[in-house]
Amino acid sequence: MSTTATVAARQSSRVPLLAALAAARAWLFLIVLITVFEIWARVSFGASFVGNLFNLRSVAVFAVAPLLLAIGQTFVIISGGIDLSVGFTMGLAAIVLAHTVNLATPALGTGAGLLVGVAVAVLASMIPGVVNGLLIARLRVPPFIGTLGMYGVARGVAFLLAGGTTVPVSNAALNYIGNGQLAGFPVVVLLTVLALLVLHYLLSQSKFGQYTYAVGGNRAAAVRAGINVRSVTIRLYVLSAVCAGIGGILYTGRFSAGAAQAGEPLLLDSIAAVVIGGASLFGGSGTIVGTLIGALIVAVIQYGLVFINVEPFWQFVAVGVVIIISVLVDQSQRRLGGGRVDE
Amino acid sequence: MKRRTLGAALAALGLAALATAPAQAAGKKLTIALIPGLTTDAFYITMHKGAQAAADALGDTLVFQGAPEFNAVLQVPVLDAVIARHPDAILIAPTDKVQLIQPLKKAIDAGIKVITVDTFIGTGKYQTGSGDADFPLSYVASDNILGGQIAARALAKAIGDKGKVYVSNVKPGVSTTDQREEGFKEEMKNHPGITVLTTQFNDDDANKAASQLQSVLARNPDLAGVFGANLFSALGAANGVKQAGKAGAIKVAAFDAPKSIVEQLKSGLVDMAIAQHPSEIGYFGVVAAHAALTGHSIPTAIGTGFTVITKDNVDDPNVSRFLYSD
Repeated sequence: MSTTATVAARQSSRVPLLAALAAARAWLFLIVLITVFEIWARVSFGASFVGNLFNLRSVAVFAVAPLLLAIGQTFVIISGGIDLSVGFTMGLAAIVLAHTVNLATPALGTGAGLLVGVAVAVLASMIPGVVNGLLIARLRVPPFIGTLGMYGVARGVAFLLAGGTTVPVSNAALNYIGNGQLAGFPVVVLLTVLALLVLHYLLSQSKFGQYTYAVGGNRAAAVRAGINVRSVTIRLYVLSAVCAGIGGILYTGRFSAGAAQAGEPLLLDSIAAVVIGGASLFGGSGTIVGTLIGALIVAVIQYGLVFINVEPFWQFVAVGVVIIISVLVDQSQRRLGGGRVDE
Repeated sequence: MKRRTLGAALAALGLAALATAPAQAAGKKLTIALIPGLTTDAFYITMHKGAQAAADALGDTLVFQGAPEFNAVLQVPVLDAVIARHPDAILIAPTDKVQLIQPLKKAIDAGIKVITVDTFIGTGKYQTGSGDADFPLSYVASDNILGGQIAARALAKAIGDKGKVYVSNVKPGVSTTDQREEGFKEEMKNHPGITVLTTQFNDDDANKAASQLQSVLARNPDLAGVFGANLFSALGAANGVKQAGKAGAIKVAAFDAPKSIVEQLKSGLVDMAIAQHPSEIGYFGVVAAHAALTGHSIPTAIGTGFTVITKDNVDDPNVSRFLYSD
């Protein structure tokens, strides 16, 4: 691996311009995508795609839920793992929040009822994370299998708690979080930006972030360097679960109901966002900014295709093609930019 | 086939002469299995309750087994396991029109009577002697085309018979939601002032349904209404309306009525819900199976009703009893 990296690094120094272009390719891809929609919208029906504030706001709100799953997943994927349980951890948190808020609000009032609900929901979402972490770090269960098992457990528990149906919830503060606006920005978007900033700092500036890259880059070396790999691994899966839990809380706020299956359709979109954002499924690379761009690409395609009125069946094709192109571009970037090629 | 199994049992009792007599005559308790499209849905949970009520009334045993997702790959093993236990009749909501045909033939070959509920196999026209999927005895369900038409009428009335509307649907290929869309579009042809835009598929993801509503609205600022062909399609579309600040201006019709819809109706998020009568489907499914097993002929199709629920009638007990219970 190190030889490949050195060779690649030498190559990249020979073609600095290409390497720089490749590094920014996710940004470029997003810009190209938006430009295509803009031109199409102007030519075919004389409207603007980006010039419409409503569109921007809608795409941002749309991206919130997959993005929250994706930013926690970014850490896990960088460490060389994967967390398949996030969708139902999100559903579990949504159901726990709905039930707790319904119980606590009459006794404590709107604000305190919501706070209690959020606290309990976050704690509940930590449980699958801790179990995932213990299974993977202590018992050496492969992440794919361990979190797949937890996918089933969290799903079952969430549906049991929900009684097989959606749980309606009525709390003005929760509704404000889900559907309110602050200075023209949807509250869900502001909260997600906050989460992005915190996690970006955590990944790029903190020791925990460095350890995450170290564990994913070369586990044996990380152990020899004195990193407590087990403890880092457990914390990674708890982080992923809590992000999913926050996703569940915001979902419940938006739809005024907790649903066990809330996150189920989002899992693949969120993993796609992480990979489109440049993370390697083999671990060792990836950034929060990349994941943000990846999630925006996924959201912009799906929203834009409806906006320009593409036939629904072609939408499926287009989303798939964009994901494939994006990963192909990523592979060529790795050859040029000195990263590892996933083969 | 049924006769052969029964015959063996009765011969052992020395009653070979009565081999063609109905099972009930032998004093045997009938076992009827209900296999829903998925187990985690209030619609099927309510259907189970109706089926249980009928089984209790008739003195039959009801078995309820299903998969957690609406998916043929998951439903077939459940069906196989149920066939292995050899109930007298199977009531099933097939998750695919084609993929369930061969697996259900195994039940027929084992001498088990098959009735489909809610969804169907083949064309849904049974005992016609044509095609390879006409073998179930009966199809007990809401007429989903009619349900779509009822939704269209209610929505047309709410938007004053003019403007643009579209269908927010789950995914193509599901018999019931396809028919709701078909019925909706058919009825809207009688309303010349209304334009039906392209259908949007959301994969049962409320988040995607919300985004699609906003995108359609951005393109068509005069959007007047939306028909959510199932719960999450409707909840998603309703949230899209709310986020866009158009609550009340864009009317939302929801198909299906779990209890959570009450909140949405009262808050004005959803303007009307078209409730099917799943309890009725379960009840009459069991009654039909019992009748067939005791030597009576049964109709090949039994259509159950609909109730349109709005903010104004949701507190009426005659209406609220059609909310799906959990």
